[in-house]
Amino acid sequence: MTRVLSIRGPVSLSRRSIAGVVTGIALAAPALSLFGLFAIYPIVQVFVLSLFDYNLTSPPHFVGFANFAYLSTDSRFLESFVQTVIYAVGSYVPAMALALALAHALRGRMAGMGLVRLLYFLPLAMSWVAVSIIWRVVLHPTGMLNATLGLDVNWLTSSDTARWGLVLMTIWKETAFFLILFLAGLAAIPTALYEAARIDGAGAWQRFRHLTWPLLRPITVVCTITATLRGFQSFTPQAVLTHGSFGTEVVNLFVYKTAFEHARMGRASAVAVLMFVLLVGLAAIQLRAFRRVD
Amino acid sequence: MGRARASVAHWLTFGVVLAGGLVVVSVLVFTILTAFKAPGEAFGSGASWLPKAFQWGNVLAPFKIAPFDKYFLNSAIVGVAVTILNVLTCTAAGYSFSKCRYPGRNVAFTIVLGTLMVPLEILYVPLYKIVYDLGWVNSFAGLIVPAATSAFGIFLMKQAIDTVPDELLEAARIDGAGEFRTLVAIVAPIVVGPMSALALLVFMTNWDSYFWPLLVSDESHRTLPVGLAAMQSNNLADTGVPVILMAAILAVIPTVLLFLSLQRRFVEGINMTAGIR
Repeated sequence: MTRVLSIRGPVSLSRRSIAGVVTGIALAAPALSLFGLFAIYPIVQVFVLSLFDYNLTSPPHFVGFANFAYLSTDSRFLESFVQTVIYAVGSYVPAMALALALAHALRGRMAGMGLVRLLYFLPLAMSWVAVSIIWRVVLHPTGMLNATLGLDVNWLTSSDTARWGLVLMTIWKETAFFLILFLAGLAAIPTALYEAARIDGAGAWQRFRHLTWPLLRPITVVCTITATLRGFQSFTPQAVLTHGSFGTEVVNLFVYKTAFEHARMGRASAVAVLMFVLLVGLAAIQLRAFRRVD
Repeated sequence: MGRARASVAHWLTFGVVLAGGLVVVSVLVFTILTAFKAPGEAFGSGASWLPKAFQWGNVLAPFKIAPFDKYFLNSAIVGVAVTILNVLTCTAAGYSFSKCRYPGRNVAFTIVLGTLMVPLEILYVPLYKIVYDLGWVNSFAGLIVPAATSAFGIFLMKQAIDTVPDELLEAARIDGAGEFRTLVAIVAPIVVGPMSALALLVFMTNWDSYFWPLLVSDESHRTLPVGLAAMQSNNLADTGVPVILMAAILAVIPTVLLFLSLQRRFVEGINMTAGIR
């Protein structure tokens, strides 16, 4: 394109294109400098800090891989990792499955369907802290859940159930996010394909298995990547509802306590490095798995 | 006959999803009703959903037990500032990446794209050190500036501006308009839809933000989530439950209203984030 334009005369164009280059860079500069300082630089910093003993007030002290060696034997860290996996998988796999099923049921253009969808979307508009406070009451021993179902479970004050209380709350709050994505994914599949499949005698399950599922794959990958990031970085519900008691100390809460309650920024950075590598790796694997099938 | 069976199936599905939706919303109904109960009435044997008498005074109670109005104001200041800054920086960068030509452009954009998959919350420890070194802990700068742009926003605006035909820009340039004028006068009005979707998503995300503000805000800079969580941990006794629930309800009203009035934009925005692969 630019080559073609240069026919018009090199002198005037070059003056204009220099001005264009300057403006172009200037327009990107605010975003890029903020981005460099508050996104790229922390990524570099976290790797550096993980090799230091550092408490914010006195100068960092180089310790090599001592932080990682400590973590590999710290049962509290290992336990927080296990709890994170349980929370992420326990909450987000059911939330996505539920969202996929609901998307099929809610896709219709039937009168009133928009309103029903709205009922499901509502929790998404509410902040995590507010939802956590609301669910403290729902999960209270004589709260809504126990009273309605006639149960007698100490949801938030027992290490057998606290994590599952948080899982229930997360499914309630997060299903809508994936529902929105799956609804858009389904809407993008031409109805003519379904008509053709039906004429060919494909049943409901076959239509799902051989038509919907493959065509939804891009959306499904987006969902699993997002779910992995959200699940593994969970902090607010655990911090607000239990502060990590009763077997709910997830990795981010462990990082928070290590860095800001015990002032061990180096050790916290080492945890962050491990999680960073794990999450970037998981995202890459999910993308690759997606591309291969594609 | 087949059509009759299909319509029965339709209504059955409708009934099931409606029931499920009501279960979801029942949590909110229960919360709102409990927020109007008298202290001590929230739990206990035979607690009913309905308050014995609606305590309308509860609406003001959160403002009496904490500087709740201050939390609201702080959240509004931070939310509006972060939203405006994101729309400005992301639109400018999106335009630059989409329509301007200069060396290093593609490299820069690829780096931005690459960080879309980066778990940023796990990086709060080094980010805190940076903000601490800048002297921005316990200030609005610490709450606003690190959130002032986003990889997702840049990508979203680039995608939107890609759809603006180059001929339109050429015409403006021939008329003597510089890049900046072209962006403001020609491009911005065309992509005002994606810009507002971005604004809505950024504002709602910021209203929800808890972890980062918890790290960088003292009492006088507390945003709603931080203040709300502090109020909760100061009122763990059952008697405080209606008031703290009222506080939670008041705190979500702005985003719920925004969502209800701009539902389509919000859904569109979330789906645009999915366009990132």
